[in-house]
Amino acid sequence: MTAQTGTTGSVTGPVTPAAATASGGPDDRSPRGAGPGVSGGRVGSARRRQGRAAWILAIPFCLLFLAFTAWPVIQSLFMSITDTKARDLRKPFSVNIIGLDNFTKALSDPTFRKAAANTAYFVLVGMPLTLVLALTAAVALDKGITRFRAVFRLGFYMPVITSIVAVAVVWRFLLQEPGGLINTFLGWFGITGPNWLGDPNWSMPALIMMAAWRNFGTAMIIFLAGLQAVPAELHEAGAIDGASAWQRFRHVTLPLLRPTMLFVMVTTSIGYLQVFEEPFVMTKGGPLNSTMTVSYYTYQQFGFGNYALASAMSYIIFVVIAVVTALQFRLLRERT
Amino acid sequence: MRRTTAITVACMTATALTVTACGREADNGGSGAAQTGAAVSSGKATGEITVWAMGAEGDNLPKLTKEFEAANPGVKVKVTAIPWDAAHDKFTTAITAGKTPDVAMVGTTWMGEFAASDALDPTPAQVDKSAFFEGAQKTTEVNGTSFGIPWYVETRVLYYRSDLAKKAGYDAAPTDPQGLKDMAKAMQTKAGAKWGIGLQAGGEGSWQTLMPFAWSDGADLTKDGGKAYNFDSPEILKATKYYQSFFTDGISNKSAPATPTTEPDFAKGTVPMFISGPWMMSAVEKVGGAGFKDKYNVAPIPAGSAGSSSFVGGSNFVVFKNTKNRDTAWKFVNWLADPKVQSKWYTISTDLPSVKSAWQDPALASDKKLAVFGKQLETAKAPPSFPTWEQAIKGLDTELEKITKTGADPAAGLKTAQQQAESIGTGA
Amino acid sequence: MSVDTARRSRAPRTGMVGSSQGGRWWLYGLLTVALIAVVAPFAWMVLGSFKGEGELRQVPPTWLPESASLDNYTQLFDKLNFGQFFTNSIVVAVVVTAGNLIFCSMLGYALAMLDFKGKKLIFTAVMTTLMIPGVVTFVPLFVLVANAGLIDTLPGLFLPFLVSPFGVFLMRQDILGLPKDLLDAGRVDGAGELRIFWKIILPLCGPALATLGILTFLGSWNNFLWPLVVAQSEERYTLPVALALYSTGQNSTNYGLLLAGATVVIVPILVVFLVFQRRFIEGIATTGLK
Repeated sequence: MTAQTGTTGSVTGPVTPAAATASGGPDDRSPRGAGPGVSGGRVGSARRRQGRAAWILAIPFCLLFLAFTAWPVIQSLFMSITDTKARDLRKPFSVNIIGLDNFTKALSDPTFRKAAANTAYFVLVGMPLTLVLALTAAVALDKGITRFRAVFRLGFYMPVITSIVAVAVVWRFLLQEPGGLINTFLGWFGITGPNWLGDPNWSMPALIMMAAWRNFGTAMIIFLAGLQAVPAELHEAGAIDGASAWQRFRHVTLPLLRPTMLFVMVTTSIGYLQVFEEPFVMTKGGPLNSTMTVSYYTYQQFGFGNYALASAMSYIIFVVIAVVTALQFRLLRERT
Repeated sequence: MRRTTAITVACMTATALTVTACGREADNGGSGAAQTGAAVSSGKATGEITVWAMGAEGDNLPKLTKEFEAANPGVKVKVTAIPWDAAHDKFTTAITAGKTPDVAMVGTTWMGEFAASDALDPTPAQVDKSAFFEGAQKTTEVNGTSFGIPWYVETRVLYYRSDLAKKAGYDAAPTDPQGLKDMAKAMQTKAGAKWGIGLQAGGEGSWQTLMPFAWSDGADLTKDGGKAYNFDSPEILKATKYYQSFFTDGISNKSAPATPTTEPDFAKGTVPMFISGPWMMSAVEKVGGAGFKDKYNVAPIPAGSAGSSSFVGGSNFVVFKNTKNRDTAWKFVNWLADPKVQSKWYTISTDLPSVKSAWQDPALASDKKLAVFGKQLETAKAPPSFPTWEQAIKGLDTELEKITKTGADPAAGLKTAQQQAESIGTGA
Repeated sequence: MSVDTARRSRAPRTGMVGSSQGGRWWLYGLLTVALIAVVAPFAWMVLGSFKGEGELRQVPPTWLPESASLDNYTQLFDKLNFGQFFTNSIVVAVVVTAGNLIFCSMLGYALAMLDFKGKKLIFTAVMTTLMIPGVVTFVPLFVLVANAGLIDTLPGLFLPFLVSPFGVFLMRQDILGLPKDLLDAGRVDGAGELRIFWKIILPLCGPALATLGILTFLGSWNNFLWPLVVAQSEERYTLPVALALYSTGQNSTNYGLLLAGATVVIVPILVVFLVFQRRFIEGIATTGLK
């Protein structure tokens, strides 16, 4: 999730995963021809013309990309197969190449494994929760009410732009045991709430709740837009046919929401797989490493100066993200 | 087809060349006998120097540097304040890129790492090292070489509610470990406290609360003449067992959340004792309100077999090797160590002086609570300045968490921490 | 009928189909409760900026200030050379946003509509960059910028971010939804490729550009770590860096200043969001649907 007043963050600064990537893989567009009805030799020159124009349009990105992205990525990939420590950075080639040692070291580190398990737990529970909350809110705002939409829209989006520090203070109070709001609320139903942030079994659920609360606003807005594009005529037709609201939702709305759903799932999962701020601010990875995530652990390794190991960990994270993203594309492919 | 082959060949050649070009030099120069910096010229300072300082110190430093500029006409001291948040990252990136200032304020626990990067300039002999508190001076030493000076210090002492202590039947603070435990227990049974004393149940930085007890028993965090970590020594084991007993006996809260609520707990009397540094005085007074000053007191860490000891922290002032104005840089740093300047700095910032004689200044000598800190500083100790310190001690913090929260065996835990530390190495 | 046509010719919202309006009071109530729960921390943040340090550390936290004062704000503006930091932040954010709007739409258009060699390669590069954790390229990037002599300069603050892969992606998705016939019509009329982009396609991308603009501005405005390490002198600090200066200490945090700072920082974002909110929602609609 994007860092706000936090210490680290997406150094690729401005636009990074949170309300991030749109859907659409590289294989969903067939190669472009020169347009209908143009024949023979014209195709060739039309392509050349397009090609020239395309390269002119692409030059700024390519230059900036090569300089500020490609080179650092290559350098960090190189670091990940060496034994670079912080003090070696001034002489980047005076290091030993150790091949895939860093990767095996990371994968066999029990703390890294625990962090990976925690991160998986976080994503597998947090993502559905966030999406359900977002979809429910979106449906409520879209169909349920007609007035004050803008107020609710802005309000639900607030957590996304509020400083994590303020968020942390209020959430710490909510989760306090005894006396916190959540446990008081549970008490009304006769349930004794646990010591959320102090109990290793309940610390991750607490952070999941907080993350869902913090991020559902973004997903909600995207769902809202998707819902608004569902033509009203289809709903009317469904109602005339005697379908109930729930049936209409299932058979009319949801299928048309598929692309939006993919978009939201991909962006949320990329963000959640790199979860960092919540454990960093609330629990520092504890208690007993129950909230340690892979991003946090990697950040720690950078802090210790173990640049090679930390780089290797980052690329392991990247591979997982890529696989998960590809899986989601498979699952939610447009079936036309 | 031919293009792909050409590209492949080119890539493979580039890779091969890179691989052969890599490799560490046979010996990293620098380790060896302790070094002393070259002498600095006498006379007034000239030219310009850039200084980095963090947080409130960075904000207040210009008030002090004005006097240096007045005493050395023509010299310019440019202070840039940097936030504590991520300051470490700022330093490491600056060192990597060779973009360091002439002089900077540096946290004591960063010294080992920066010195290992060959970024710091050794202290010249002209600086009087004996003027500083011993523990503080040690924080500037890496492999026997001193880099920079200790600028201001802090140490950890016992805070306790004197009014509640009276209720519990104690007129004065405990002077030995068992006494501390008894008093904390009495706070719970007789003075209505929920927890007798607030001790950190492992986790980040908890070693700073554990080690005072170990040091008071004469523990040493290194062995083999300072060449290796020593986490499983008998003294540290004894201190860890003692520390654990607070949790198993229900005197300290093992489920306290990661972000402590020390001040409100202290003010309310829920947790009427804790161990911390001088900044907590104003913090608890702010929460406690008017008159709270008289409701609490501070006392040295209860003495073990080696007397009373504690952790010394604070910040040092260092000169970077690639400074463009070495003479003036060292003149400035040395000037900061002048007892009069140290006292002046205390009045501006309330940071405690690292120079012993500065404590005779009336502003410091008259404050009873501060005097406790002053006395503790005489015997306080610093952790070793190995570059891998942060990583190694994290292992101990993690084991301590298991020991206090789940009642794990202290001996086994310390052994694990020691093994991890040994595999990381000191990095020296 | 495809969904995008529906999107382009927006049918007016007529409210619910076949349900009564009046019986929804319970939904309004529920939503209001949810809204209060969600907005609470933001409210606490603003209220807290008027409180004293002692009150801020109380547990449980108080809501309305016991004795409200503007102390935190006067301290903040006193110490901070606010104008300077605000200007730096604005300049960087505006330049980064403008750069992204122009360059990302350029490449997005090329990837969406034009056929050329290396198209797949560039697109793969864009996607890959998106998924790489930023932390790993941080130090190499800094060394590069240092060697280029851009440390402690405004260009050093904004150059690496002038075009972001996310922006490229977003624009590509949006432009993909436009009918190809527009291009052909333009070509038949004798317009060059670049002219088609500038005069025909770009004006139709309003909502997506607004979306990109807001998100880019937000990211740049809140960026902390990069400006921190790139600036050598305080004159180059941006607002988040300067605020952290006064609120975080070696051993303690000045909550009052921190909250006042956080409140101040959020104001431009709120303004940008409110101004572009309508176009923003439309914008997400057009890209999310692909």
